[in-house]
Amino acid sequence: MKEQSITQKLSWLHTWSGLIFGWLLFAIFLTGTLAVFDREITHWMQPEIQARPGSQADAAQRGLDWLTVHKPEAAQWNIGLPTERSPGLRVSAGEGRRGAGQVLDAQTGEAVAVRETAGGNFFFRFHFTLNLPRSLGVWVVGLAAMAMLAALISGIVIHKKFFKEFFTFRPAKGQRSWLDAHNASAVLVLPFHLMITYTGLVIFYFIYMPAGVDALYGGDFKALQRDIRPGMVQEDRGGQGQRQPGQQHQGPQPEIGDVQRQDSGQVQRDGRGTGQRPEPPAAPVSNQPMLPLSLFIAEGERHFGAGNVSSLSISQPGREGSTVSVGRLLGSRVALTKGDSLVMDAYAGRVLRAPPENRPSVLTQRVMAGLHFAQFGGYPMRWLYFLCGLASCAMIATGLVLFTVKRRRKYAVEGPAGRALYRVVEALNVSSVAGLGCACAALFWGNRLLPVGLDARAGAEIQLFFGVWLAALVHGLVRPRMRAWVEQLGLGAVLCLLLPVLDLYTAPGTPRAALQAGDSMRFGVDAGCLLLGLVLMLMAWKVAQRTAEPLPHKAAGRLASGSSLEAAR
Amino acid sequence: MMLIFAALLAYSAMFALCLGLERHYKAVWKTQPAASLLRGLRWTGWVLLTASFCVCVRGWGWAMGPVGWFGMISIAGLIVAFFPAYRARQVAWLALAAPLLGGALLFIRS
Repeated sequence: MKEQSITQKLSWLHTWSGLIFGWLLFAIFLTGTLAVFDREITHWMQPEIQARPGSQADAAQRGLDWLTVHKPEAAQWNIGLPTERSPGLRVSAGEGRRGAGQVLDAQTGEAVAVRETAGGNFFFRFHFTLNLPRSLGVWVVGLAAMAMLAALISGIVIHKKFFKEFFTFRPAKGQRSWLDAHNASAVLVLPFHLMITYTGLVIFYFIYMPAGVDALYGGDFKALQRDIRPGMVQEDRGGQGQRQPGQQHQGPQPEIGDVQRQDSGQVQRDGRGTGQRPEPPAAPVSNQPMLPLSLFIAEGERHFGAGNVSSLSISQPGREGSTVSVGRLLGSRVALTKGDSLVMDAYAGRVLRAPPENRPSVLTQRVMAGLHFAQFGGYPMRWLYFLCGLASCAMIATGLVLFTVKRRRKYAVEGPAGRALYRVVEALNVSSVAGLGCACAALFWGNRLLPVGLDARAGAEIQLFFGVWLAALVHGLVRPRMRAWVEQLGLGAVLCLLLPVLDLYTAPGTPRAALQAGDSMRFGVDAGCLLLGLVLMLMAWKVAQRTAEPLPHKAAGRLASGSSLEAAR
Repeated sequence: MMLIFAALLAYSAMFALCLGLERHYKAVWKTQPAASLLRGLRWTGWVLLTASFCVCVRGWGWAMGPVGWFGMISIAGLIVAFFPAYRARQVAWLALAAPLLGGALLFIRS
């Protein structure tokens, strides 16, 4: 056999690793793109929580009142304050975070019954664990990310006219158009593709490249943590997400990187976070009154910037040595500020510990993680990340389609084995692209249509998601190729387009009241669904047009010998 | 508002760069361009890209500005690549008008 050139070898690598990992990568990228708006989606999925005007200080006081009455003996109180992207007021008492927090009305301080839901957090968790057991999922996703990097680099090398065809897209030319679309969406958004893939890997550096920690610290991650953030000794802080956030984080509001309490059944939680600092229960009761919470919020804003306080944790409330830690909102800067907090004396208001300055190495890692988490720059930046994420999805999807478009003629003459392979690839393509879209939309539908009081409701929503995805695979195997695409894209479009209607009619309260309340976060999600629905509709329509032309031939093929002639199309 | 201006600049920049390529120029104007014109368009594109970068940094600051700028030029490039294929000349006019429009908006607001 003739020796292949490097380009040919890379082309082979690009094609096959792109195909094998493409299905997985599409799911990772699509859920990651949706997770850009995770809080918004969670808010949409808990329509019981009303966005209420009012200051954080007032809300904090309501939370404190509730905790004083209901959890007087708790060793720690947590108050998740209403913030721009999370309008609910949540309280919990801190012995372990397993116990679900309670949502309060920020104005009246009364408890609000909120439905259990997988929420936008499902997309976030799926994005890096694929809903597999955590460490396995993280490894699989890491492998896919490496394949993505390899595909990106090999793609750059084998794309011969990189600059000449920078803007080239020639529509309605079959394979040519698919290749153009694949190239354009890859080349133009290349900075984003590279950045998001690389930083995604950096987040879990201690899992993917443990050698350094193993050699220097004998694998003791906590020892490393103590060295790199000396000010945080007491906190059992994991890196971004591997360990559950330590007690800094015990604020009831799920931070990004944190795991929603509802699905604790599926998540390994290590209890070390709570065991790290033993709470002496016998601390004598203090006779000093605690300073008003507004003071702590003000001090927090002085440190973190206005509007950047997200939670308060009061340890040993009412006892001697009680402290208040003011949690920082993610998103005031590029570097991930997860876990930063200001610890203050509850009676004197002295600052006991401010978040330490990051060492350059830590800062580097946090900036990279922050680039991936996209918590900075406000909504314009969020939308840019969302659009770039969609472009990545489009790049992967066009690549997958291109694989089959290129080989369609060849498979027809390759005998039964080739045809069977081709059939499976086609089915996987349609179900991993269009089918996943349907499954995501189904999660939203399930959130509103499943009975509110259902046991393990969040789990049921997730089962619905996977059920629809599986059904899409079966559908893709059974139906003729092009019909499967049209039907699944069409279904996805209808599901998305009707979501705003569903939202209006299934949320508590009348549709008119909802319209008057004008909850911008909720309607933002609705608008996004409409937009995606229209895009899906357009795609379904385009594919249907392509199918319509040669129908007689195809119909004849189906009649004659199953899918063999169909495959020849 | 600053960010909208930056986005419009990015779009015009990408469009100028696109027209600076002979094939795309011909697709839009249906005439053979002079080499100097193509070079001029490409220069314009780079200048507008730089301007867009500066506006992004003004709006977002040094840390976030560059990140947002990369996102913007990517999205702008995609719009340039996928829309003129259908209606070339309208987009050309829109692209030329974009920074003026943005500048005017900015002026009115300030």
